[in-house]
Amino acid sequence: MIRARDIVKEYVDGDGTKVRVLDGMSLDVQDGDFVAVVGPSGSGKSTLLHLLGGLDVHYQGEVEVGGVKLRGLDDKALARFRNTHVGFVFQSFHLIPNLSALENVLLPSHFGPAREDARKRAEAMLERVGLGAKKDRAPVRLSGGERQRVAIARALFGGPRLLLCDEPTGNLDAATGDGVIQLFKELHREGLTVLAVTHEERMSAAARRVLRLKEGRLVEERADLHLATRGAP
Amino acid sequence: MRLDALSRLVRLSLARERKGAFFSAFGVAMGVGALVFFLGLGLGVGRVIREKIFPTDARLVDVVPSAVSLGSLLGGGKLDAATVERLAALPGVEAAWRKMNVRVPAVSRYDGAFFGTRLRMGMEVLAVGVEPGLVKDDVKLGEFRDMGEGQPIPALVSTRLLELYNKTFAPARKLPQLSANMIVGFVMPVEFNRSYVAASSGGPTRSAQAQVVGASDRAMLAGLTIPLETAVRINREAGVDADTFTGVTLVAKDPSQVPALIDAVKGMGLEIDDQERRMAENTGAAVALVTSALALLSILICILAAVNIAHALSASVRARAKEIGVMQAVGASRADVRGIVLAEAAVVGLAGGAAGTAAALLLAFGVNRLASTYLPSFPFKPDSFFSFPWPVVLGGVVLGLFAALAGAYFPARRAAATDPARTLAG
Repeated sequence: MIRARDIVKEYVDGDGTKVRVLDGMSLDVQDGDFVAVVGPSGSGKSTLLHLLGGLDVHYQGEVEVGGVKLRGLDDKALARFRNTHVGFVFQSFHLIPNLSALENVLLPSHFGPAREDARKRAEAMLERVGLGAKKDRAPVRLSGGERQRVAIARALFGGPRLLLCDEPTGNLDAATGDGVIQLFKELHREGLTVLAVTHEERMSAAARRVLRLKEGRLVEERADLHLATRGAP
Repeated sequence: MRLDALSRLVRLSLARERKGAFFSAFGVAMGVGALVFFLGLGLGVGRVIREKIFPTDARLVDVVPSAVSLGSLLGGGKLDAATVERLAALPGVEAAWRKMNVRVPAVSRYDGAFFGTRLRMGMEVLAVGVEPGLVKDDVKLGEFRDMGEGQPIPALVSTRLLELYNKTFAPARKLPQLSANMIVGFVMPVEFNRSYVAASSGGPTRSAQAQVVGASDRAMLAGLTIPLETAVRINREAGVDADTFTGVTLVAKDPSQVPALIDAVKGMGLEIDDQERRMAENTGAAVALVTSALALLSILICILAAVNIAHALSASVRARAKEIGVMQAVGASRADVRGIVLAEAAVVGLAGGAAGTAAALLLAFGVNRLASTYLPSFPFKPDSFFSFPWPVVLGGVVLGLFAALAGAYFPARRAAATDPARTLAG
C-alpha cells in the first residue's frame, strides 16, 4: 500500500536555520495494515503524513501509495489522488463551520467525478459512523467526538484504501477518544489501511504496528503479528 | 471542477460572507451605475446635437466657391455648369446637387388667418434654390419644381426653424404651436426684388406666393428653400447672375470616401462649407469631453471598487486558509481553489454591474420624468436626455464583472498558493 524510500525533508525555521525532520526515512505498509507512528512533538510525524497523502511535495526520495508514484504528478493529478486514494483525519477535525454534517461529508464530491448517489453515499457514511440522525446539524452543534466522526465520514466518502490520521484523538477526552479508536479498529477490520501519527498510548495500542520516528528515521517498535490477519477481532 | 459543484460552493461561501459581498457589490454598482448614467447622458445629449440641433449627413459634402483665391481672380473657382460636371465626376461621388441663392432681396408681408389666430407680419426673406433630388423625401405636397410665373412656388422650411419658432417665437407672441404636417399647404406672399432694409437691384418688384410643401433638415435655416429652376428664373428675370451656383452638395457613396473627396474638391480651388459640421463636431467634442471626464471619474470608482474587492477577498482568503487547506486535502487542485475565489468575485461583480446598470437606467428614467415635468420648454428640448444603446447596458454589466475579477486576481492566486500541509498542521 505504502512504499517510501530515502525520504529527506528539510525546512527553514523562524531563525533561518535549516532543520532536517526526515533524514533518509523509508517505510513499507501492507494493504489492510493498521500502523501508528509515534514520537515527540516536532519530530516530523505530521510532515510524514502530509508527504504520504500528497499534501506536501517538497522532499527528496520516492513515495508510492496504492501503486501511484507521487513524485512527478502535477497538481491536478495529485488533487485527484487525494480525492480518490486517501482520506485525511485531523486532530482539529477541520470541518467547515457553515456547512451541515452532511454537506461536510459531501465536500469531496465537489472535486471528484460527478456521482448520482453522492448524497446517499454521504448519508451512508454518516450512518456508518453513527451520526445518521444528526446529518443536518452544523458542526457547532456537535460534540468533539461527533465532529471527529463527521471528519472520518468525510475521509471515507471517496472510498479510499488508506486513511491518514493526524493525532485523531488529540482533542478528545478519554471516553470519546476510545469511541473514535474503536471506530478505527472497525474500519481496519473492514479492510481499510490506517496510518495514524499519534503520541497517545491508547491509539498506538490499537495499532498492529507501531513505528517510532527517531532522528528523522522510522524504527519498528512493535508488530502484533497475531493481528496481522485481516478481519481478526 | 464541475459547474454545479462550483456553483454550490460559491453560493455557500457568499451566503456566509453576505455582508462583505454586499458591500463589494455595492462598490461595483456605484462605479458601474455612475459610468452607465454619464455615458447614457453624454450619448443622449450628443444624439440631440447630432440629430436635432446640427443634423448632418456623414455622406454630404457642401462645396462653395472659394472666397478669395488665385483661381477666382483668374476666373476659376466659380461653380458653373462645367465645374459642377467635374465635381460630379469625382471618384466616390454618387450625386451632385446644385444650389443657387435668390440673388435679389425679398420680403413677405402677411396679414391674415394663421392657424386659428390672426397674424400681421412683415419680414425680409432669404431663399435658396435646390435640386429636387436633395429634398425629395421631405416634400409632402405636389412636386418640387418650378411651376412657372403666376403659380405658387413650392417651398420647404427648416425643421430647426420650426423648432425655434415653436419654443421661442410662438410662446412669446401667443402664436400657435406648429408641426411639420400642419404647415404643409400654408401659403404666404413673397415680393422679390424688394427690401425693407436695403436698396433693391433696380429692376421691377415681382410678387409671388410661396406654398410650404414640407419641412426638411436640408432646408436653409433662416429662409425658404425653393426649386433650383425657380431661383434661376427669378435671378434671370432680375438681371442678376443666373449661371453660377452658390454651392453644390456632393453625396459620397460612402462616408469613408468623404476625406478623399474633400481633398479633391480643395484641389479644384473650391472650398468646403463645413461650418455646421464643425459646430456639430465642436459641440459634440465638448459633450464628449465632459462625458469622458465623468466616465473617468466613474472608472476610478470602479477601480476603487476593485481595490475594495481585493482587500475583502484577501481578508477572506486569509480567514479561510484552513478551509482551503481542507478542500485541497479532499481533492481540490490549485486551479479549483483559484476558480472558487474568482467565481465568488464574478458573482459579486455581475450582481454589482447589473444592479448599477439597472440603477442608472432607473435614475435616467426619473431625470427624464423630472425634466419633462419641471424644465421649461426650450428649442430642441428632447423627450429623453439619455441614450442607452445595448453595448452600454451590456458593457456596464461586463465592467462590473471585469472590475471584480481584476480585484480578485491576486487573492485568487494567493488562495491557490495555499500550502495545505502548513495550514492543516496542528
